[in-house]
Amino acid sequence: MQSLDIISVNIWSVLISLANLLILFLVIKKFLYKPVKETLEKRQAEIDKQYEAAKKAEESANANKAEWDSRMQTAQETADAMIKDAADAAKRRGETILDDAQSRADGIVRQAQAQAELERRNAEEGIRREIVDISTALAGKILEREVKADDHRVLIDSFLENIGDAND
Amino acid sequence: MSQKRRLTAVDILLLLGAILPIVAIIVLQILTKPASEGISLSGAYIYFTVDMPLQPLYITEAQINSWAVIITVTCLCLFLTRGMKVDKPSARQHLAEWIVEKTEGLVKDNMDPFFSNYGPFICAILGLSAFSSLLSLFGLFPPTSDLNVVGGWAVLVFILITYYKFKCGPWGYAKSFAQPVALLTPINIISEVATPISMAFRHYGNVLSGTVISVLVASGLGGLSAIVLGWLPGVLGDIPFLRIGIPAILSIYFDVFSGCLQAFIFAMLTMMYVSGAFPAEDYAARRAKIEAKKQNKLGGN
Repeated sequence: MQSLDIISVNIWSVLISLANLLILFLVIKKFLYKPVKETLEKRQAEIDKQYEAAKKAEESANANKAEWDSRMQTAQETADAMIKDAADAAKRRGETILDDAQSRADGIVRQAQAQAELERRNAEEGIRREIVDISTALAGKILEREVKADDHRVLIDSFLENIGDAND
Repeated sequence: MSQKRRLTAVDILLLLGAILPIVAIIVLQILTKPASEGISLSGAYIYFTVDMPLQPLYITEAQINSWAVIITVTCLCLFLTRGMKVDKPSARQHLAEWIVEKTEGLVKDNMDPFFSNYGPFICAILGLSAFSSLLSLFGLFPPTSDLNVVGGWAVLVFILITYYKFKCGPWGYAKSFAQPVALLTPINIISEVATPISMAFRHYGNVLSGTVISVLVASGLGGLSAIVLGWLPGVLGDIPFLRIGIPAILSIYFDVFSGCLQAFIFAMLTMMYVSGAFPAEDYAARRAKIEAKKQNKLGGN
């Protein structure tokens, strides 16, 4: 057996080599590209699915957040209103208590004044009586006889009237 | 557990299927090919001849080695794509995905979007060419240094070019030769025929030149060794010490780098020529015209 010439063209060799390339093309297409592409597609589908799920979760989270924000807002408003109401009620109540106390104090003061007046009147009456008694006794002593109060009532009264006037 | 072990056994079988053809052709070469003496350059060794019309069919080293490469690549493909998973891919799955994505990216970058399904073909060219050239690492005959082998690939590329040029009809094909001026028609025809020839000779010549230079350097170093170290006593004088190491460095360039580079160049040229042959705009215009005609016909009826 011998070797081919270093440059030689043989139709059958050319055709065989052409067929070889085609065969390898089919082999690579079927055994390398097809499984790899299928895997890549599957992976892509899975990634897409996960992205979609993540997006959905984010959307629902955002919706929840908005809802909770609005709820927080209303809660804040309610709390503010409640505090305001409570403050108002407390203020009103304080005012009524104050008014009450004032009126009661006024009443007490008035009563005290009336009491004092009454006392004073009584004292005055007492003093006047004392004076009448003393003056009657004095007059009796002076006249050496008994002064009959009933007899001189008019006189005494006019006298006392003058004392009372002087006192006032 | 038992299933895992069975899978591993299949994997080992596939790996053996990838390695054994190479070992087989090495053994076949050792058994049949007579050792060459001195500087001798010849084509592929003929194992046997089949009588065929026109020319005899030679079953040569180039053919056998090509088939071995095809079996190896097939087994590697099967090995890489075994047990593919959607999540947590293994190292070999990463490699398989990397190969597919790289070739797809190459096709996307260099070809019209019309040719988006050309990934496997380009991958086949790259794989067959690179693995064929790398066979020379094992001291085997690289099929790419046989003109007939790369010629076959170039003819296939030429068929594809012509097929896409015919996409605009025979008249469109004929007209494409008179571009941009009718005067250039003969030159266009020559360049059309020159395309596959230049592709075949470029690849074949580059790989063969590497072999030639390797043979020259090896024999030159043998001679130099005999002159410089011939004074050593006895058997030591006969051993060509200078042949150790230096040819390996050259081999890294000529076998590994040049082989892969030529595979890449061949794939690039294929993409350029096939994509360039396709008149995308004319084709779109023609399709639009046909569609319009169809619509008119439907409207008329």
